[in-house]
Amino acid sequence: MAAVRERNESAWLLPNDGSRTNHRLREDMRRFADSDLVDLVVVGCGAGGSTLLQRLARRGWQVVGLDAGPFWDPDADWVSDEAGSHHLYWTEPRVISGTDPVPMGSNNSGRGVGGSMVHYAGYTPRFHPSDFATWTNDGVGADWPISYRDLRPYYEDIEQELPVAGEDWPWGDPHSYPQRPHPVGGNGEIFLRGAYASGITAKVGPVAISNGRFGNRPHCIYRGFCLQGCKVNAKASPLITHIPDALAHGAEIRANSMVTGIGFDERTGRATGVHYIRGGVPRFQRAAVVAVAGYSIETPRLLLNSASRRFPDGMCNDFDQVGRYLMVQGAPQTAGRFAAEVRMYKSPPPEVSSEQFYETDPGKPYQRGFSIQTVSPLPITWAEHMAAQGHWGADLRRYMSDYVHWSCLGALCEFLAQPGNRVTLAEEKDRYGLPVANFSYSQCDNDKQLVRAAQDVMEQILHAAGADEVITIDRYAHLVGGARMASDERHGVVDGNCRSFAVPNLYITDGSVLPTQGAANPALTIMAVAARGAAHLTAGGR
Amino acid sequence: MSGPAEPGTAPRISDATGDRFPGFNVLDQVSHWDPVTAGLVLSRVGRPPDIRFFSPAEEAAATALCDRLLGQGGEPKVAVVPHIDARLTEQETDGWRYADMPEDRQAWRESLRFLDEDSRAACSREFARASAEDQRAVIQAVQDLGAKDWHGLCAAHVWSLWTRYACTAFYAHPSAWNEIGFPGPAYPRGYKNPGVDAREPYEVADARPSADPLDGKGR
Repeated sequence: MAAVRERNESAWLLPNDGSRTNHRLREDMRRFADSDLVDLVVVGCGAGGSTLLQRLARRGWQVVGLDAGPFWDPDADWVSDEAGSHHLYWTEPRVISGTDPVPMGSNNSGRGVGGSMVHYAGYTPRFHPSDFATWTNDGVGADWPISYRDLRPYYEDIEQELPVAGEDWPWGDPHSYPQRPHPVGGNGEIFLRGAYASGITAKVGPVAISNGRFGNRPHCIYRGFCLQGCKVNAKASPLITHIPDALAHGAEIRANSMVTGIGFDERTGRATGVHYIRGGVPRFQRAAVVAVAGYSIETPRLLLNSASRRFPDGMCNDFDQVGRYLMVQGAPQTAGRFAAEVRMYKSPPPEVSSEQFYETDPGKPYQRGFSIQTVSPLPITWAEHMAAQGHWGADLRRYMSDYVHWSCLGALCEFLAQPGNRVTLAEEKDRYGLPVANFSYSQCDNDKQLVRAAQDVMEQILHAAGADEVITIDRYAHLVGGARMASDERHGVVDGNCRSFAVPNLYITDGSVLPTQGAANPALTIMAVAARGAAHLTAGGR
Repeated sequence: MSGPAEPGTAPRISDATGDRFPGFNVLDQVSHWDPVTAGLVLSRVGRPPDIRFFSPAEEAAATALCDRLLGQGGEPKVAVVPHIDARLTEQETDGWRYADMPEDRQAWRESLRFLDEDSRAACSREFARASAEDQRAVIQAVQDLGAKDWHGLCAAHVWSLWTRYACTAFYAHPSAWNEIGFPGPAYPRGYKNPGVDAREPYEVADARPSADPLDGKGR
């Protein structure tokens, strides 16, 4: 791990006295004036934005990261409790529409420094090589302007920095992980048992939860509240994996700063900085380069809200690409009832996964595939599942009292990119007076077939493990796309280096640039894409 | 809790499930929780927040609705409506609304008024003054509509609104955790004994493990 520390010292910059935040590092943080022309301002300090900040600060760039939410302190701000974790989610108003509207908030949207990785489960699989050429290979989705091979070195770097724990990985491009797999709890045990009995390969991992001490980050304590923010500092998020090192190299993190527009010079055609509101005061940070990393809803919304004479329909929207091809994964959850006590709340929800069904199977009527993972919902989420099944009243209470007997698996189905699945601006305005996002989503036939196929496999696994009853609820997970990379400006918003086609000093470095999503959780890929974009910038792409 | 309660205790709620985890009391472990979490959870067994958003008529309808949705009959019970009211006062939404629904505050007000209208039509009484049986019938009729129209709203989206707010408030309460055998917060101690049929010393085994709700044996 010595090599990791040489290029990213974050884990060693955290305290080792049982507290979780290096307050001194934050107090001593460099602070720029709005009037300073900084080298780079980044909008959003989640997976993509934080990685970019850390890489460029390391190379001596003057960088400022703005985030609409707080600069979290896990000790003071986070609780080991479901309902009390509401403030971790982006809960500003949003409208959802389409034939299959996708709930937002806790499901897929973060807020504050660390972004949604603060409350993601922790799964960090790589995409498969096939994900980068689904149009060529399968006639669906899109081809990326870059290949898996282009991203692989960045995957390897980020896996060491998080770090990722898991068994040797047999799928996609086979690889191993820097840390050994974690021991599993009841839910993982059920999955492994059921998979073995039904001839399906399942592996422990890959999770960005430290198995053993990593720098000053302690070992996981298996308390199961990964989705509520890790108070232990064991689960990786940029708040602890990239921001400390960025601060130590002169980056400024300006929290509670809502960016409302991107400055644009009509004469030069270049971005000039960002308009933002902090403490109710409108301000403008000048910057030589602007990077937007607000994720798949807020990034398109910001571009659409940044109209000008040159861009009457929103910045970078010459070809009506902004906001389109937004994707979610179909994420049905199938639960099985066991006579034994599973107590799935003990241990992290991310434990075991299978990518055996990830690739297109020529014997099936649908293209692309799905993965299967343990999910382990806590009681409130579980109750919402039960209510979604139609249970209420005494019936709901009886189901809920049976909680300790249930095991729960979740699938990630690769829903296809479609132009009509997109963000537009709604009539409704937020408290800053900006139009909110309307996210429209409709499934296609291929999507629906994948969900049914994934449900069948999960039911098979749970029955094979000894479940006497199974139930399934349909839901969605993750977001990617909305400002995708492409080989030209008629098919996307940015090029393979995350640079926008329309404005030479405007970059997008978040999940919105992904043209396809595979059946993998996107966090690792978002970080790898941002790290690659950073390498392009420091190599002279400025 | 609207019934009598010792500070720092979470009384057994009126029985809907047959006390499957006898003697289990999550609050026995408070001394093992971090202070931020402990403060939050203990606040839920203390005095509920005052009603600020709902009118008295809306409060009455919401209370009857949540009692029926959550199967709460007599006392003691978990006070759910004050927590829903607090969320609506503070506009603590889930961060999205369906395009065919008004924002949450208006959707709650309207849907409670529609419950009163349906109840008056069915039994000539406001929803809160109807018998529990009549209330259940009115609620069931809404659920049975599925995605169809209910007073100009998509019934399924109203159902989602009600159950999300009600389930979040109820299953955030230690009394509800006692009922389902869930020990609540787990920091900084964590778990040392995960796995199938493995328990921590303070967890209590299910006294009726065959009470599978799916086959009716638990009823």
